[in-house]
Amino acid sequence: MTVIKVKSNKELPPQKIYYLPDQISPDSTEPYNSHYGAGIPIAIDFGTSDMRIGLTNNLSPSNIFPSVISRYRDRKLAQTLTFVGYDVYLDSSFKSSLKTPFDGPLITNWDYVEWMLDYSFHHIGVDSDGFVDNPIVMSELLGAPSQQRKNMLQLLFEAYRVPKVTFGIDDLFSYYQNNGKNGLVIGAGNQAINIIPVINSKPILTEAKRINWGGSLCVDYLSKLINLKYPYFPSKINNHQFEILMRNHCYVSKDYQEEINHIFDLNVLEKTDVLIEAPYVENVQPIKTEEELKRIAEKRKESGRRLQEQAQKSRLEKLIQKEKDYEYYTKLKNSLEELNKKQIIHTLEAEGFDDESDFKKYYNNLEKSIKRARKADIGGNNDEIESETPPEFPLVDIPDDQLTEDQIKEKKTQKFLKANYDARKKAHEEKLLEKKRLEELEIQEEKWRKEDLNGWIQDKRKKLNSVLKKKKDRKKLREELNDRKSHAAQIRMKNIAVLAAENSVPNTSGNNTRSSKRKRTITIDNDPNDTFGANDDDWAIYRDIANVEDEDEIEEENQLMLKLEADLLQYDPNFSIENTYDSQFNWRKSIIHKFLRGPRDYDSEKTQHQYQFHMNIERIRVPETMFQPSIVGVDQAGISELSENIIVNRLPSEGFYSKNEIEKAPIINDIFLTGGLSHFKNFDERLKNDFTSFLPVNSKINIRRAIDPRLDAWRGMAKFSNNIDSKNAFITKQEYEEMGPDYIKEHNLGNFGYF
Amino acid sequence: MPPLTDDIYQAAVQRPARFKNPKWKTPYRRHKPLRQLLSDEQKRLNNTDVDNKDGTNGNARKDFNQVTYFSLDAYPSLKPRKHYCDITGLKGNYKTPNNGLRYYNVEVYNDVIKTMTSGVDQQYLELRNANIVLK
Repeated sequence: MTVIKVKSNKELPPQKIYYLPDQISPDSTEPYNSHYGAGIPIAIDFGTSDMRIGLTNNLSPSNIFPSVISRYRDRKLAQTLTFVGYDVYLDSSFKSSLKTPFDGPLITNWDYVEWMLDYSFHHIGVDSDGFVDNPIVMSELLGAPSQQRKNMLQLLFEAYRVPKVTFGIDDLFSYYQNNGKNGLVIGAGNQAINIIPVINSKPILTEAKRINWGGSLCVDYLSKLINLKYPYFPSKINNHQFEILMRNHCYVSKDYQEEINHIFDLNVLEKTDVLIEAPYVENVQPIKTEEELKRIAEKRKESGRRLQEQAQKSRLEKLIQKEKDYEYYTKLKNSLEELNKKQIIHTLEAEGFDDESDFKKYYNNLEKSIKRARKADIGGNNDEIESETPPEFPLVDIPDDQLTEDQIKEKKTQKFLKANYDARKKAHEEKLLEKKRLEELEIQEEKWRKEDLNGWIQDKRKKLNSVLKKKKDRKKLREELNDRKSHAAQIRMKNIAVLAAENSVPNTSGNNTRSSKRKRTITIDNDPNDTFGANDDDWAIYRDIANVEDEDEIEEENQLMLKLEADLLQYDPNFSIENTYDSQFNWRKSIIHKFLRGPRDYDSEKTQHQYQFHMNIERIRVPETMFQPSIVGVDQAGISELSENIIVNRLPSEGFYSKNEIEKAPIINDIFLTGGLSHFKNFDERLKNDFTSFLPVNSKINIRRAIDPRLDAWRGMAKFSNNIDSKNAFITKQEYEEMGPDYIKEHNLGNFGYF
Repeated sequence: MPPLTDDIYQAAVQRPARFKNPKWKTPYRRHKPLRQLLSDEQKRLNNTDVDNKDGTNGNARKDFNQVTYFSLDAYPSLKPRKHYCDITGLKGNYKTPNNGLRYYNVEVYNDVIKTMTSGVDQQYLELRNANIVLK
């Protein structure tokens, strides 16, 4: 026997379940800062996902909240209320009108910005009248369009009358906070990924690049992937939940091409697959008592038995009728032998046959159909018939005229019983013969197997293959029939047309010569005049045109296949369980199953399973977009390729260092990762792998992450505002009024001037 | 709907804010979507270019190195594009002839792509901006 190598499902421990993260639901309203001081600079990190605000004499921003706003119309107060940040999530009615001032990376709705600044200054605790007495440090986009800065300056100077303002790029602020001087800053943000080389604390913006892809787009991508993967998932998952899922479970692949080759290997999948379950309520069926169940089963059994009995009875009756006919025609046949040709034809015509061959055909068909009917179960336990003593039917052979009326009635029943008994007996004999035949066949098989194992195996394999081919053909046909234009479908239409034409022309020939007896007995399966059906495949025409499958045939075929497979499993050393037909449906072999359902079996009946989904390839597929934006149709080079070009080509050609001494360039000693996406596991290792591949052999690559990628930008702003570096970076209110909104003071953390 | 609590009313942003310029009136601003903002910026940059060529401060080198929102855009990749299965994310060695979906193997094709309801293929293609957009 072949050892079954595949472990059964029960041996696998249940997979760890991660629960779907909760939606945002703040316990209380956003707190107010109580330590306001006039003159202390305020740093505002105005991000597309989060706003971080606070007085710069603190170590961390006092308020961090999502950059969202909701305007809610209160009918009772006849007033429109505006909520910002987490306060939007206080009530479900606000959430429905949730808005953001951003469209992609740019601010498009300045009214919202004004509301958000009102909210910010209010929460910081500004208490002066008519103006905000604090210098402002604010973040802005790398290479922000002038309109963005213009509107912001207008708001700050004209609406809030702040004394002075400076802008800077958040990634550079973060680098500044982490004491960087020479390095390559990779800021993987919410809307864009910036790559900025910094040399001697000065950003080389002419060589900086931006990929228009970022965190919120990654979240969208993940959500679309999961929604397409599970189109019928019963509960809705919102973007906030996807964001948390991405943060918790996605990681950067160290070698993507290699990892996707093996991600669906079972031992790999076991480690990488993450099972997430949405909350659900188990659908509890009312439990029936044992007695009830018993009663139901009993009832079902009873009705089944009755139906069976009825069917058996009708089969038996039919068989008896046929036997009678058979007996009659056998006598006729025997009597024909003694007659001459003319007499024969005369007799046959009187019986309603065209000629001798017509009669023979009818006779043979009748014989066949009786044999078939006998094989079918015709009621009663036929095995018992042997032990039964043959019942006696004394009245049957006595002519009617010797009997009383009651006896004639009795005779009728006896006649029926006798026919019944005879039929059953014959059927039993037939079955015994069949059994014997099978036994003989088995002995022959065994003999063959012992004498010529190879030949036997070959034969079995050939048979198995032919069954499999039939199966495959049937499947193919079914698929083809779905397509109206396919060859199979056209043939079917043709058949229907032919049949329709036949039905419309009544078949008159020879009908009137038949006797009334023949006419009465003509049914679809005993019309001897019709050769249709002599070949079993003829019947397939009805299946073909009705477009249904013959389940009996499929069942028979399956039985045969299973038997062949069992035989081969037992005797063929080269045939293992993996070669069987069923094993190709084993979920362990199915990429789709592993993709959708992870390394465990799936039971679609289980409510719990319906509320589960799996993240496996998505865990690396989503972060990989930063390295290959082409995956999501962004026609831009990825992080590594851009970095390569900056370090290897652009900076040397601009004269920052020699192309032959790249390994000595300080920039490669400080590859700095910041921004919301930089938290991904293995991000630094992937960069190290990629950088090693394009830098000279002895380069000392050093990659580091921001200490706190979320807050370091704000902290850098605070540090900057209180440092000598910012002395000449602020634009005062007076300068704004004199020079206009296009005036810019260049500094090492901000954009260059506009032209 | 349950009535809002006082707490929540308190959380609404108060106007007028005391720290604001009392003469400030929120100007009417036409809402411009991202695409229009970018084309405005492009126009503005083109106009300043003309000024420079007129000789006011014609520094060709500076023009070339001008840092704008657009010059910062990363260029297309020069490396051969790798193809992935649209459904599973595995290697996408094959492509369906009728809609251009990429797929990993025959199982993906038979079990997913063939049985897709109409429109789903476009949703998959949309993930990589390859869908057909009717205008």
